[in-house]
Amino acid sequence: MTSMVEGMSRPVQADRSRWPVYAALALGLCVAMLASLTLGYKLYGLDKVWAALFAHDGSETATVIAGLRLPRALIAPLAGAALGMAGVMVQTLSRNRIASPDTLGLNAGASMAVVLAMVVFGVGSLGGLSLAAAIGALLTSIIVFGVAAGAGGLSPLKIVLVGVTFAGLAHAVVEIVLTSNEAQLQQLLFWLSGAFVDRPISLFFNGLPVVLVGAALAFTLTSALDALQADDATAASLGVPLLAVRGLTFVAVSLLTGAAVSMAGPVAFVGLVVPHAARGLVGLRHRHQLAAAALVGAIYTTLADVAARFVIYPVEAPVGAITAVVGAGTLVVLLMRRLA
Amino acid sequence: MSEVVAMRRRTMPGSTTIALLAVFAVFVLLFLAGVGFGSTWIGLDTVTGVLLGGGDRTDRLVVLQLRLPRVLAAAIAGGAIAYAGYLLQRITRNELASPGVLGVVDGAALGVVLFLAIFSNESNALTVPVAWQPLAAALGAMTAIGLVFLLSGRQASSAIRLILFGIAIAAVAKALTTIFMLIGPIYQAAQAARWLAGAVNTINWSEVQIMLMVLVPVGIVAGIAARNLPPADLDDASSRSIGLNLPVYRIIMFLLAALLTAGAVAFAGGVGFVGLIAPHMARLLVGRGRMAGIVMSILLGAIILVGADLLIRVAFAPLEVPAGTVTAVIGAPYFLYLLMRKDNSNG
Repeated sequence: MTSMVEGMSRPVQADRSRWPVYAALALGLCVAMLASLTLGYKLYGLDKVWAALFAHDGSETATVIAGLRLPRALIAPLAGAALGMAGVMVQTLSRNRIASPDTLGLNAGASMAVVLAMVVFGVGSLGGLSLAAAIGALLTSIIVFGVAAGAGGLSPLKIVLVGVTFAGLAHAVVEIVLTSNEAQLQQLLFWLSGAFVDRPISLFFNGLPVVLVGAALAFTLTSALDALQADDATAASLGVPLLAVRGLTFVAVSLLTGAAVSMAGPVAFVGLVVPHAARGLVGLRHRHQLAAAALVGAIYTTLADVAARFVIYPVEAPVGAITAVVGAGTLVVLLMRRLA
Repeated sequence: MSEVVAMRRRTMPGSTTIALLAVFAVFVLLFLAGVGFGSTWIGLDTVTGVLLGGGDRTDRLVVLQLRLPRVLAAAIAGGAIAYAGYLLQRITRNELASPGVLGVVDGAALGVVLFLAIFSNESNALTVPVAWQPLAAALGAMTAIGLVFLLSGRQASSAIRLILFGIAIAAVAKALTTIFMLIGPIYQAAQAARWLAGAVNTINWSEVQIMLMVLVPVGIVAGIAARNLPPADLDDASSRSIGLNLPVYRIIMFLLAALLTAGAVAFAGGVGFVGLIAPHMARLLVGRGRMAGIVMSILLGAIILVGADLLIRVAFAPLEVPAGTVTAVIGAPYFLYLLMRKDNSNG
C-alpha cells in the first residue's frame, strides 16, 4: 500500500524521464529478437540471417531461419506482451500482487476451452480456436471472480485458492479428454505444451489482431484503472463506472490471454512476473504500466525461448517449463516480501 | 477444553458409532463392487467366495491378480491421503489445508520423478529395488513441507501464510517435475505423465505390500501422536499455554502427514483433492472427535478413490483414465462450494 501511494504521488514531470526506459526496452527487444533468430542448435551470423530472410531459395539456412526461427521470434514477443498486459490488469482488478492469468486459472480455462472446442465441437480453424481460447478465459474470469466474491471478498488467499482450484479442475478435464481421444492427442499436445517451437507463422498473423484489439481496449481504460487502484469508493467518487470498467477489463484480459494461449499454449507465470518488473521501471500509472509490461513481457518470453534451446542442449525444453521455474520462484519471493 | 470435546462425544456416542458402521458398510460394498466390476463382470457373491478361498480358476485369477491389487491400492492410497489431510487441517486449524494445497503431493511427485530419472537404465528398467521409491517420495514430500514451514517463518501458525507458500512450492515442484521428465528418457516420461495424474491401474501385489509396510507403521505412530492434537475449539495461544500444539509437535505432525502422503503418492500418483474433502465430510458426519474423525476420514478417502477407480472402469472402459482426474472433477467443485459457503480464512 505504501509503495502505491508513493507511486501515485510521483511528480507528473517524471513522464518525460521515462523515455530512456522505453528506449532501452525497445532496444532490448530488438536484441532479444535478433538473438532468437541467430542462436540455437545452429548458430548463424547476422549477415546470413538477413540474407536468408529474403532468399526463399529452399536452402537449409533459409528453411531454418525463415521457416523455423522467424515464427518463434515473432510469436514469443507477441504472446509475452499480451500476457504481461493481462497480468497488469488482473493485478489491478483484484488489488492483488500475486494474481496473474495463471494463479487465477485463466490459462487453464483457455486451454480447456481450446481442447473442448477441438474435440467436442470439431473446431479446426485457427480463428475458431483463438475465439474459443478467449471465451474460455472470459468464462473462467467470471467464474473465479464470482466464486471468490461470493466467498466473502476478494482477499488474496480466496481469489488465488479459487483460481488454483479451478485450474486443477480444468487440467483434469483436459486430461480426461486427452485420454479418451488418442487420435487428437498429438494435435492437442501441440497446444498444451506451452512452447514457441514448431508454431506456423499463420498463428502469429492470427493472434496479432486479437492482441491489438485487446491492447487498444486496455489503453482506453488506463485512467479508470488508475482510479481503481485505490478502492471502490474512491474510484466511484471520481466518476468511474465500476461495473462497466470491470467488465471491459475482463474482456481485454480475456482477449489477450486467449490470444497468447492460442498461439503458444499456457506459458506459465509470465503475467505474474512481468507486471512487477514493469511497475519497478515506470511506476503505477496504467498508461506506463501497460506499455512497459508489454515490452518487458516481450523481452522476457523471447529470451526465455532462447534459453529453452540451451538449458538441456541439444534437446529443446518447452519455454513454459522455464518460465514456470522463474515464476514460481518469484511467487515465493513476492510472498516473503508481502507477508514479512 | 478436552471436557468440551468429551461432553460432545458423550451426548451422542450412538450417532457416531452408527455413522462409522454405516460408512464402513458402504466401503465394504464398494470394495467388493470394485473387485467385481470391470471388463469382466463378476458377481458380488463370487467375489466374496474367492476372497474366502473358493471360486474357480478364472475367477481367482481375475479377482486375486488383476483386480484386488488395484482396488486395495486405491483404498490404501485414498485412506492415507485423507488421513494426512485430516492431520494437516487439525494442526493448521484451517479446513482449506490439505496435502495438495500445502505442496506435499507435488513435492512427493517430484521426488519420484527424480528417482525414476536417476535410477533407470536405457531399457527403462530400474537399477535399484522399487522399494526405494517411497523413500524418494518421502524425501520430496518432507522437503516440500519443510520449505513451506521455513518460508512461513515465525508466523508458521498462520494458515494463510502456510497455504500461500504451499501453493508457491507446489508450483516450483511442478515446474521442476516437467523439466526432469524432459531430461529423462521419452518412454519413461510418458509413463510418468500418466502416473502423475494419479493412476492405480498398473499397481501390482509387491507394490501394495510396500505401501502397507510403509503406511501401517506411520499411520499407527500418527494415530498415537494425534492423541495430543489440540481440541478444535481452542485457539493457538491457549493450546500452547496448556502445552499442546507446540512448535516441535507441529513439525512432527507435519512430517508424519508428509510421510502418509508420500506413501500413497509413491505408487498411486498425484491424486487430487481427496485429502481436502474427505476430512471435511468426516467432520460433517462425526463431529470433532479425534479418533472418530481419523477413522472416518480414512474410510471416506478410501471410498472416494475406490469409487473413482470403479467409475473409470465402468464409464470410460476400455480407456484407462487416471483416477486422479475423476477425484479432481468431483473434488474441485466441492472445494469451491466450501470456499463460498462461509468465510473460513481464520488464520
